[in-house]
Amino acid sequence: MKIICLLKFVPDVDSFEYDYEKNVLVRENVKQLLNPDDACALGFALRLKKTNPDIEIEAVTMAPHSVRKFMEDILRRRVDKGTLISDPLFAGSDTLSTSLILGTYLKQTPYDVILTGSQTLDGDTAQVPAQIAEFLRVSYISGITKIDEQSFLQGSPQVEVDTENHTDIYELTFPSLLAVRRESKYRLPFVRFADLESDVSEQLQIIDNHTLNIPPDKIGLKGSPTRVIKTYPQTYEYKEKIIVQNDAEGIETVYCFLKEKGYIK
Amino acid sequence: MTKEQILDKLNDMLTADQVNTDADDLYDASADRYKKYAKAKKVLDNPLPTAIVYPKNTDEVKELLMFCNEEKINVIPRSGKTATEGGLENWKELSLVIDGKNLNRILKIDTYNMQATVQSGVPLQQLEDELRKLGYTTGHSPQSKPVAQYGGLVSTRSIGQFSTLYGGIEDMVVGLECVFPDGHVCRIKNVPRRAGGPDIRHIAIGNEGTLCYITEVTVKIFKYFPENNLFYGYLIKDVPTGIKVLREVFVNGYRPSVARVYSEEDAHQHFYHFHEGKCVLIFMAEGVKPIADACGQGIEEAVEKFKDGIIKKVDSSLIEDWFNHLNWSQKDIDDEVQEMINNDRHSGYTTEISADWETIPQIYENVIHRIRTEFKQADDLIMLGGHSSHSYLNGTNMYFVYQYNINCEPEDEFRMYHHPIQTIIVEETLKLGGSMCHHHGIGKYRNQWTKEEHGSAYYMLEKLKETFDPNGIMSFGNIFYQEEGAKFQK
Repeated sequence: MKIICLLKFVPDVDSFEYDYEKNVLVRENVKQLLNPDDACALGFALRLKKTNPDIEIEAVTMAPHSVRKFMEDILRRRVDKGTLISDPLFAGSDTLSTSLILGTYLKQTPYDVILTGSQTLDGDTAQVPAQIAEFLRVSYISGITKIDEQSFLQGSPQVEVDTENHTDIYELTFPSLLAVRRESKYRLPFVRFADLESDVSEQLQIIDNHTLNIPPDKIGLKGSPTRVIKTYPQTYEYKEKIIVQNDAEGIETVYCFLKEKGYIK
Repeated sequence: MTKEQILDKLNDMLTADQVNTDADDLYDASADRYKKYAKAKKVLDNPLPTAIVYPKNTDEVKELLMFCNEEKINVIPRSGKTATEGGLENWKELSLVIDGKNLNRILKIDTYNMQATVQSGVPLQQLEDELRKLGYTTGHSPQSKPVAQYGGLVSTRSIGQFSTLYGGIEDMVVGLECVFPDGHVCRIKNVPRRAGGPDIRHIAIGNEGTLCYITEVTVKIFKYFPENNLFYGYLIKDVPTGIKVLREVFVNGYRPSVARVYSEEDAHQHFYHFHEGKCVLIFMAEGVKPIADACGQGIEEAVEKFKDGIIKKVDSSLIEDWFNHLNWSQKDIDDEVQEMINNDRHSGYTTEISADWETIPQIYENVIHRIRTEFKQADDLIMLGGHSSHSYLNGTNMYFVYQYNINCEPEDEFRMYHHPIQTIIVEETLKLGGSMCHHHGIGKYRNQWTKEEHGSAYYMLEKLKETFDPNGIMSFGNIFYQEEGAKFQK
């Protein structure tokens, strides 16, 4: 079985600092991380591979060359192959154009199933997986919180999708695209100590639009019909920290605060 | 010999309740707190011991050791189970843990001659409680006091929180009984002092189970005057200032029972409610009132001498309250295990070294700098600091303390974090002529530096091992580097 995991590296929003005077996010030195939903998708694939070593996993991402080190880190987690789709022509691609680029690569590549995250920390539109599935004409479902391993291995996975009030169970057949949520808690394994320095360069292929051969007017800014009409920064108010002592007065302060915020009735 | 044959033989030698082959207990016995995270996560990869046995007297210890010596079965002496440096870890396929829990009798408390005799499995807390009823104390108070037992305390050269007044365990042991692998039982008699050749107590004290099994210990006891205790606390500019004040107190001949300096980071762990982001200096004076008062005066004079580095005095009741909650109990240990299982984090590690007054600030600075700049997982550190907690006329110790977010598989945790940090600490200490282990013992993870630690004197250590344990059955891997064990270290 071959699993392709679509990954995206996103800014760690928790490490953003906020400039209260200028009302802007300070983006310098912000760390990149693997999108949490995508990490769960890859975590599920690697978990299966641990007990089914014949499973082949390919990690695919579309990003600038600078993510190479992150892809190498992914490969050291015992992923078989990595593909970095990167070309300056892709810069500014919206979700439609991105789906076209990824979909074009996937059309040329054999697989049984594609796993990815439902949403990303940065964009959060959740459009790309659906658009890729449509492009590939494969069955698709998102918001997955659990995948039944046995049925997955048999090529017709039963998946659970949580809604507000209940859990739905769906069954799909391969080939399909399954989009997982971080609530699934499929844990991405760490790089093992023995693999920390391992050379994985031969497992990583970097391809550009010469390989994909997509018309330039379909990619990048030119190929992106999405237009941003207006943006405005979210403003935050600076709030003073209150430090209280572990005494009656401090306890009263904390109690009143929690009550005011509705945590205590 | 096969495991089954060993068990058959053990069942001939001992009663059924003295031979434990419970799978969970064997797993627990296969490692100590050095690999606490991997152990809690149930991913240890070292072999399980064949059995844990509980001898009831010296003769049974003797019989067990002779059997293991004959059959070349590794022996891991154990009592208390609070080891932190791999001393209780098993590296051999055939291995017997000899646990002292049945050697649990207090044999004599002699308040006239100021000494108490206990079997090696007596918990320190138990003797302390008995002595307190009589107005005495052991003077020994390691953080593990509620759990530690005398065999472990003596064999690792342990030290307690009041060491600057009462000394380390080596200052307390008057005499002892121990059994060597060939079955010879040695009793070292209890006398106040003697010049009868080298002090042979020190062959057993600190042997870490590599030479003999300690079955009985006689220790000094002390009169206890808690009503005279005086507590002092100060916020200070930096660690070197604190070290200077400590030195001043000790070179003037004062013996406070507690004398400590904490870095800002370590102070935050212990004194978050008053340290104000500064280093902390603390003292405790005790004894009969005139001595406690004189000691207190000496402390105040030393602080006055270095007043430029003193920021402010702290309410002494805060220090007293802190001391009353310092020891960790079995519940604390169990809580940490649960925290590791549930939340993938633990309370950190420590590495303790010592050096003279002049050198210790330099070691501290070098270590912190190297860890911050060279340690590959430095971004994961959430705490790195240290404190000096045991001082002497000619120098002091440094207890490096570090805690980190664990971003690795449990199997790799000690290789990714604790061991690389400990390596830097040991290297910097040895480079400047200090000792790489102040009071935890060498265990198994610092044995690669034992030769460097002892230099030309390693000859004496090596000869002791060859003489007393020629078959190498005692605590394989402790103190002495073993190539066969390297796979568990690296």
